Amino acid sequence: MSATTAAWLVLACPLAGTVVNALGFRVLRGRAPGWIGTLAIAAAFAFAVVAFFALQSRGPEQRQLVSSLWDYASIKQTTGVDARLSILVDPLSVLMILVVTGVSMLIHLYSVAYMGGDRGYTRFFAYLNFFVFSMLLLVLAGNFFLLIVGWAFVGAASYLLISFWYRRTTATRAGIKAFVVNVVGDAGLVLGTFFIFRHSGTLDFLGTFHGVGRDFASHQGALTAGLILLLVGAFAKSAQVPLHTWLPDAMEGPTPVSALIHAATMVTAGVYLIARMHPLFEHAPAAADVGAIVGCLTLLIAGTIGLVVTDLKRVIAYSTMSQIGYMVMAVSAGAYVAGLFHLMTHAFFKALLFMAAGSLIGAMAGEQSLDRMSGFKRAMPFTFGCFVVGGLSLAGVPPFSGFFSKDEILFIVGHQGGWHWILYAAGYVGALLTAVYTWRMIFRAFYGPPCPEAAELEAGHLHHAEVHRNPATGEEEDTDVGFPGPEHHIAEREPSMKVAMGILAVLASVGGFLQVPGVTNALDHFLEPTFADSRFNQSPSDPGLVTAGLVLGAVLGLLGIAIAYVVWVRRPGTSARLQQRFAFLHRLFVNKWYFDELNEILVVRPFMWIGRFGQQTFERVFVNGALVGGTTGLVKATSAAVRAAQNGFLRAYAALLMLGLVGVGFYFLLQAA
Amino acid sequence: MTLHLSILLWLPAAAGLLGLFAGRAARWVTLAGALLALAFSIALIADFDTSAKGLQYVTDQTWIAQLGIHYKLGVDGLNLFLLVLTTLLFAASVLWSGLDRVERPGQFFFWLGLAETAVLGALLAQDLALFVVFFDLMLIPFFFLTGSWGGPGRVPAVLKLVIYTLVGSLLMLTAAIATAVLAPGQGTTFVLSELAHRTLGTGSQEWIFLCFAAAFLVKMPAFPLHGWMPDGYRAMPMPVLAVFSGVLSKVAAYGFLRIALPLFPQAAAHYQELLLLIALATILYGSVLAFTTTNTRLILGYSSMAQLGFITLGIFALRPEGAQGAVIQAVNHGLVVAPAFFICALLAARAGGSEDLRDMGGIAARAPVLAALFLIVALANLAMPGSSNFVGEFLILLGVFNAKIVISIVAFTGVVLASVYTLRLFIRSMHNRVGPNVVSRDITVSDGLVLVPLVAVILAFALYPQLALHKGEATITRSIQPAAQAAAQPQIAATP
Repeated sequence: MSATTAAWLVLACPLAGTVVNALGFRVLRGRAPGWIGTLAIAAAFAFAVVAFFALQSRGPEQRQLVSSLWDYASIKQTTGVDARLSILVDPLSVLMILVVTGVSMLIHLYSVAYMGGDRGYTRFFAYLNFFVFSMLLLVLAGNFFLLIVGWAFVGAASYLLISFWYRRTTATRAGIKAFVVNVVGDAGLVLGTFFIFRHSGTLDFLGTFHGVGRDFASHQGALTAGLILLLVGAFAKSAQVPLHTWLPDAMEGPTPVSALIHAATMVTAGVYLIARMHPLFEHAPAAADVGAIVGCLTLLIAGTIGLVVTDLKRVIAYSTMSQIGYMVMAVSAGAYVAGLFHLMTHAFFKALLFMAAGSLIGAMAGEQSLDRMSGFKRAMPFTFGCFVVGGLSLAGVPPFSGFFSKDEILFIVGHQGGWHWILYAAGYVGALLTAVYTWRMIFRAFYGPPCPEAAELEAGHLHHAEVHRNPATGEEEDTDVGFPGPEHHIAEREPSMKVAMGILAVLASVGGFLQVPGVTNALDHFLEPTFADSRFNQSPSDPGLVTAGLVLGAVLGLLGIAIAYVVWVRRPGTSARLQQRFAFLHRLFVNKWYFDELNEILVVRPFMWIGRFGQQTFERVFVNGALVGGTTGLVKATSAAVRAAQNGFLRAYAALLMLGLVGVGFYFLLQAA
Repeated sequence: MTLHLSILLWLPAAAGLLGLFAGRAARWVTLAGALLALAFSIALIADFDTSAKGLQYVTDQTWIAQLGIHYKLGVDGLNLFLLVLTTLLFAASVLWSGLDRVERPGQFFFWLGLAETAVLGALLAQDLALFVVFFDLMLIPFFFLTGSWGGPGRVPAVLKLVIYTLVGSLLMLTAAIATAVLAPGQGTTFVLSELAHRTLGTGSQEWIFLCFAAAFLVKMPAFPLHGWMPDGYRAMPMPVLAVFSGVLSKVAAYGFLRIALPLFPQAAAHYQELLLLIALATILYGSVLAFTTTNTRLILGYSSMAQLGFITLGIFALRPEGAQGAVIQAVNHGLVVAPAFFICALLAARAGGSEDLRDMGGIAARAPVLAALFLIVALANLAMPGSSNFVGEFLILLGVFNAKIVISIVAFTGVVLASVYTLRLFIRSMHNRVGPNVVSRDITVSDGLVLVPLVAVILAFALYPQLALHKGEATITRSIQPAAQAAAQPQIAATP
């Protein structure tokens, strides 16, 4: 089987899963929809592996394959628009489909049990399959048009899943927020495409890349503008400042959805986009610098918020934002392979952390606040173990995977010298923050005296809430449909959850060995054909800097864990004292740097105000009053008379008018003859 | 194969007339006529010769020799898909009303049939006088359909509608006569292909163009000529509103491409920026009103306004990609808005008869099929990439981007706002807590009979929009060419 055929089948499998689950919602019983969904993604993963081997069997310079089905929206002759249904299969897209299908398959497997008690079980798996399909379309797209389609499908799928429990107002609000922010990103992407298409004359990726030197030689400004607009798309999807506000709210979705959004699909799209567009970014260094700076800012801002958030899932969400910041910074600064390496390892440990969090939330019967949790260490040993592996990996402790990937990013960024040293330093500050907030979460949830739920579980009974409440508002749930369901599931009791988490824990532990400085560089080698034309292609060798970075990274990771241990385990009052001492900073972080408020004042309110003005003043006074003053008067005068004789009047009038029309028509027909 | 367009044109009215005497079978007679017209127009698509440069299936008879008025009909890439849209939506509307209980069915279906013929006539006419006749004839059936079968407030609404459109029509009538009289050359003629060769002086072109533009902009409606729209939309019976919003507004957009641009190219280029700004204002105004009103009909009404703004934007980009986008978008919008209105009727039936969003909520749980259909329609309405609506919007915005970059950038606001008001409509009716009087149930088989085929067409178009683009490319480009040239060289356009 050729690599392109396999890639088309990778797309077809999740789509088929979606269709089967969507049409079969009345027929499918029990956990069948879950297994159908999982099987579809497993098949897609199998085809991705086939595509991998098929691609590897070709010579290194023949590893960029394009395959088209049919013209989708082409009007070539008059406008040059050439939007075909075509995919690009190269090492970059194959790496992405392997990660996406592999991690998604495990998340599906986990969901089979985790979502077991939900009324919308079939709908959930139809959406979940569609989400994976969208992401695969995004990474396989061979031209700008199809990229935009995949890009928007991902946004729509995330909307559907974030507001999956749709009777919760908090969930629907989070859903529409995610969708609208993503549409802002889509608009940036489309407009950026216009800027590029204007001079390149093609929507095809390879055509654009090959002609970039020629087409934009005298249009540097257009290229930079176009790429910055593409970055707007990337920032919206990858939750970079200031378009990140949807991501923490997206925690309203079921936990497997959070895992999917954060690990395999969606937020990594921006990183992929920048890596994919690297031939363009290298011709417009100003745009690339924007990406690097925004990534750096995001990693710091998200890290500080992560220190003070008390919602378990939101801590992990901010950590994602921060880690994606590293990746965006990396690929913008030319560290493509390092960025993609971190994307992969992050997918493993972040999916693991979310699954473990889901298990913990199951034990808490839906409660997500860290303030309510403590002492789960003995009650949930497996979940605790997963948290530890994921936490060590995220904190960058050797030899876990996050250690190697984060270090490689910072090494390459630092190696470029100049102002990149600021990014380098900020990256290490971020690393310390990461270790602190990650382990704050783990220590608070698992150490200390067991909370009632933990004690109950230790006694062998899983806690169930009497009255189901929305953890965000305390509002009583609508138990009809659209809430997590009366049953809860924890990893300790569900084999399919345990298997999924176990595999991810292994991957998070050993995934880093793909790229060990001075030992292996398997990923560099594999991605070589995609980045062969890059001016950053020669990986720098600077043993001194490498060693210093590795040591510094390991020390900071361990130091962060130690700080968290002291503050939240050894001396429990420290945290409160720190909050008092740095009241201003604490307020800033708790209010998430006031981005939501800023958005409300600058964007939402003006539009609402214009709308209300239009509704109440303009429509009523101007359109209905001044502009139609005569009309309204006339209407008022005649309507009374008409109302009186309405039926008879209208019918008589109709007959008369028809008669007249027929007469006139008849007359002219005679004239014509 | 010879397909006589006169058959297509008069079939619906004839069926309606027959129905007038058919008593209780009126609906089936009219439905048969509408379905035959639909089949006819689909045959047109299959038979249409894509490589041909000009009109096809031309019927040309001298009607009033003294005035040079011809009964001339023809099909090209400009109206081909609008014809299919018209016959499809009317068939859906007749079926919907036929499955419902309508008072005095004979008359109702007669007017509906006549309305279809009027719209088809305006689309097929290749003679200016014939176009004006059909364009004005369109108003009459809707006057009676709203006046006799409409909801509360129908009398003031219908009078307002008539007065607005009558003013537009009179302007257009004057303009049409002036065009024929002022055109240079031997004898008067109203035939469009003849008039296109007899270019008027720029001075006359400009005022005549403005008269036509006024008539079309009222019909769309565009800001600030939309005063009749809120009342009109509130009063119309739902199946009538579905075709009114789905088809009639498109005839106005079509009028620009068929008449205003080819006959008055210099004027079109001269007023390009004015029309672009009106379109932009319509998009933004329609959008902000759509997300601040709570009446479901008006949300769709203002949303249609915004979409028509996009279509106008594409036309007055005066570039091939913009015009192609406008034509495909006209079809797309019709395909989306008609099922949306039918869905509104179903929502109201589940919310205790109220059409207000505040009385809805939580309908999805007991109506999964309805929710799924509504979701597809909603996503298409907000021009989600992957839908055919996005293809239209992409081409329109690309055209404007190449013509006037700033207007294109501002127009993107409308793209974002569309997602806000459409999702708001979806969420507040289908999701959130259950409304006070909501009793939800899924759609019946007869509802599905109308909705499912329409949604299937949306999906099919989403998968292969190339079909419409391919057939339209040659003729659409040709119809805007004179105006595009005039816009490119504004200095050369001097009067003789």
